[in-house]
Amino acid sequence: MNTGIYRRRKAVNGIFLVLSVFAAIFGLLWLAFILGDLGYNGIASISPKLFTEMTPPPGSDGGLLNAIVGSLLMSVIAVVAGTPIGLFAGTYLAEYGRHKRLAFVVRFVNDILLSAPSIITGLFVYEIVVKTMGHFSGWAGAASLTIIVIPVVVRTTENMLLLVPNGLREAAAALGAPRSSVIRIVTWRAARAGIMTGVLLAIARISGETAPLLFTSLNNQFWSTDMNGPIASLPYVIFQFAMSPYEDWHHLAWAGALLITVTVLTLSIAARILESSKRS
Amino acid sequence: MDAAVKDKVKVDIRDLSFYYGATKALKNITMPLNDRQVTAFIGPSGCGKSTLLRVLNRIYELYPKQRADGEVILDGENILNAGVDINLLRSRVGMVFQKPTPFPMTIYDNIAFGIKLYEKMARSELDGRIEHALQRAALWSEVKDKLRESGLSLSGGQQQRLCIARTVATKPEVILLDEPCSALDPISTAKIEELIDELSADYTIVIVTHNMQQASRTSDHTAFMYLGELIEYGPTEKIFTAPENKRTEQYITGRFG
Repeated sequence: MNTGIYRRRKAVNGIFLVLSVFAAIFGLLWLAFILGDLGYNGIASISPKLFTEMTPPPGSDGGLLNAIVGSLLMSVIAVVAGTPIGLFAGTYLAEYGRHKRLAFVVRFVNDILLSAPSIITGLFVYEIVVKTMGHFSGWAGAASLTIIVIPVVVRTTENMLLLVPNGLREAAAALGAPRSSVIRIVTWRAARAGIMTGVLLAIARISGETAPLLFTSLNNQFWSTDMNGPIASLPYVIFQFAMSPYEDWHHLAWAGALLITVTVLTLSIAARILESSKRS
Repeated sequence: MDAAVKDKVKVDIRDLSFYYGATKALKNITMPLNDRQVTAFIGPSGCGKSTLLRVLNRIYELYPKQRADGEVILDGENILNAGVDINLLRSRVGMVFQKPTPFPMTIYDNIAFGIKLYEKMARSELDGRIEHALQRAALWSEVKDKLRESGLSLSGGQQQRLCIARTVATKPEVILLDEPCSALDPISTAKIEELIDELSADYTIVIVTHNMQQASRTSDHTAFMYLGELIEYGPTEKIFTAPENKRTEQYITGRFG
């Protein structure tokens, strides 16, 4: 054995290991730092009032109820509107359009939409909805979020359906099942966990978005569930309160940030569990 | 099989060619498939036997750029005609695949799926049909207490019998078997072969197999194919004892392929 080569290889191996571990720790360190800071400041600011009182004027006590409800309303509408569109579009791509030119174009445009900066979505909806209606509104905010939900669901739906083996489609078709039955009863079912994961990830994605709401739903300091008018949302309130010079607003911003982070974390974990249950 | 029914042809394949894009995979195949008998397609890998099987229920049409030329006459009607309802055709010509393909649903629903596509019936009648199908596939005694469990929970051999039950349940006239035992152990294989024998009393069966013993055990007629051509077709006994073609003889004696 040539010990020179062997020793050199061992040394290179050691260097690579150190570099990789260092890079991993470096990344995780910041994440831990951010989460730690958020937890430290956020938990101190958490109180039952968050869920019972409205966002206050500077200098007085308050909570985030209107912002929580506004965020929930817009997110729910965005998911309810965006999921079916994304599901059907993804199904078209995976089941009907595999080798078609139209599918190629749709997939390409969807990829662009997926990575488009969300502030552009906000500006687009501002032009189309807010300007036409003449005022900011919850509907505009929901529309803006819908545009973000759709490409995420399209992409995951297509990918999950492509993972379903063709043998399953053949077997269903061989029983005399028309295409629509094959999709509805067999392939959707086989890909169900994966598609659900996509929807959860889409919810996680929109729950922290601020930019698309800046020019659409704006904000509302008071209790409002009127989707026709400006409505509060957590990300907007965090943005506004964190930028302010007031100490008690800062506390609320921390609490809001913690709420969103915990929500996203929960959704991500749920998505992971769903995904692993699919594999077993 | 007595001589009177022996000659009735269920499916008549006439001058059939098949193309994957520009590649001609089947070359002018002509052969009959007799009613309520078992016909085996044998030949080395890539000879076109599975391709031929996949023409018989037009399952190849799921994919673009695959095309069949010629005639396949099922009970007097050319199934390759554009006007043929392809789903109805597949409900008459069932298929079982090489790899067991249970749907991701309960054992009960796996079988109910095919029945419900074409028939509406009361729950009790559906229960009866499902029990009957499972019995025909020799699976009833093993699953009767777990019909509500996932079809995926069964063993490979059981899954394949579930797929056969599923196919039988829709009451087809022809059953196509594409190497149905190649993923199974010898005991499961024996069970399925027994099943093929029983089913041939009521159905026209076509089986593609790599296993020559299986072809000789299960079939009435055998077709030997090579490079997309039908080399020899005849009664199984004759093909395996006194083949006319040199290639056939070499293949069945294991000297090539």
